[in-house]
Amino acid sequence: MRPAGYVRRRLLLAPVQVAAVASAVFLLAEVLPGDAAVVLAGDDPDPERIARIRESLGLDRPLLTRFAAWAGGLPRGDFGESLVSGRPVLGLVLDALGPTAVLASATLAVLVPLSVWAGVAAALREGGRFDRALTAVGVALYAVPEFALAVVLIVVFGGLLPVTALGGLTPAALVLPVAVLAARPLCSLSRLVRAGMIGALASGYAAQAVRLGVPERRVRYVHVLPNAVTPAVQQLARTVDWLLGGVVIAEAVFVIPGLGTLLVDAVADRDLPVLQGLAVLFAATTVLVNLAADLVAFRLAPRA
Amino acid sequence: MRRALYAVPLLVALCGPWLASSGDVLHGVSYDPETGWLGTDFAGRDVWQQVLLGGRELVAVMVLATAGAYLIGVLWGLTAATARRRLADELLMRPLDLLPAVPSLFLLLLLATLFPGGGLVWIVMLVHLPDIARLVRAAALEAAHGPVVEALRLQGESWWRTTVRYVGGSVARTLAADAGTRLTGTLYLAAAASFLGVGVSPDAADWAVMIERNRAGLLLNPWAVLAPALMIIMLSVGLNLAFDRALRRP
Repeated sequence: MRPAGYVRRRLLLAPVQVAAVASAVFLLAEVLPGDAAVVLAGDDPDPERIARIRESLGLDRPLLTRFAAWAGGLPRGDFGESLVSGRPVLGLVLDALGPTAVLASATLAVLVPLSVWAGVAAALREGGRFDRALTAVGVALYAVPEFALAVVLIVVFGGLLPVTALGGLTPAALVLPVAVLAARPLCSLSRLVRAGMIGALASGYAAQAVRLGVPERRVRYVHVLPNAVTPAVQQLARTVDWLLGGVVIAEAVFVIPGLGTLLVDAVADRDLPVLQGLAVLFAATTVLVNLAADLVAFRLAPRA
Repeated sequence: MRRALYAVPLLVALCGPWLASSGDVLHGVSYDPETGWLGTDFAGRDVWQQVLLGGRELVAVMVLATAGAYLIGVLWGLTAATARRRLADELLMRPLDLLPAVPSLFLLLLLATLFPGGGLVWIVMLVHLPDIARLVRAAALEAAHGPVVEALRLQGESWWRTTVRYVGGSVARTLAADAGTRLTGTLYLAAAASFLGVGVSPDAADWAVMIERNRAGLLLNPWAVLAPALMIIMLSVGLNLAFDRALRRP
């Protein structure tokens, strides 16, 4: 398939996917009993009061009108207002985006070089001590839930490092959350790089390059490595999906005021506009990341 | 040694409730490391008793949600794969394409908000369902449109024999390979959800809930957090290692 046609098709499909997720979340939230007015009325579930709140929120209008109003606001960045604080959802999300972006980029900055290094090192000495250790630790660590790992790390390192981000997201405060977030993806990524590297090193083109007198380092890092990391790039896209999940846990444990905290609070308060806004944001991120990963993989190892 | 990793937490989870002293909930001082074997928790309850009680639900959710997701997911995937009209296949599978666009923990929290009071089993099951349905459909497609199914249909064999016994049998190997990661994945989701307080009561005797609730007293009585954390870590690591070995020894 020609890359241009492929890119065009994927770019066209992406907004459709995001729009479908957004509509599904909106409609699901609507058809279920107990709307926002009931939640807002809280301890005072007086039918008259509920009706008044419903009217002020515009919840008494027909479903399609409300859906059109909500969906029409999305392109303008209008996601509605939080039921709890009354603040615009977009502002809440943008405020929370900062800490999460710092956390996620710090994790990726540690994760990507480390997993490529570990995978390559294990592959170059296949069956060696480091290789066997990496495989054993990888299988074990991969299964540990983030929150369990987090509390163990807090008990062990709590005296040396800050265990909350209450004093701001300083580099020291990032160490434990990043370690917790990077642990599971590190296992899967380094295994993939290792497997890809072993396969590519044994391939005909690598042997031919060596036979032609290309220096070994050049064969390893210029010819073999790009092919070897291709499956890992696609796994990295799935890692971003995990990161969004792991971030929820890491932020809850280490008290970081990011998207995960916003999400958990919105769930606790049944703050549907915030949840809908987050659903759109998460869906858009996931779709874009997968698209980017496919394109990078295509660029690294162009195939039919 | 390797088996002990998952056998110990499983035994504690399954037999613990019998060993726990019945109904005798101790209300002493919070986070007192001197009372009892592992000290007391945030409410002054004996941590060891809570550990004995706290695994049953997690293991039950893990097993029931995995089994339920397989039961429905396999039927869903087989129905889509054997559908004779393309439209039926599309109608069954297209909606599932939306779900990978949402991170699974987010989906879980979303479902918990939309269905308050819906048990954890159902929610975790729903999160895993699309994945299994897609896997089964992809694995069954070849067998479902092969000559054997044609022949079985011409002979007038029942739906059970054609779809479930024959086509279902052809995907058994794929499912067996998937079962291990699926079970640990369910455990992971169920534990994470309980930790975030989804679908469990806030003072439940549950390993994940214990970790969340006793974190405040980490310095006073670390065992109130470490004991349940070690149980969960041993169980997930042990199961993952066991399934990994089983897969590599075909």
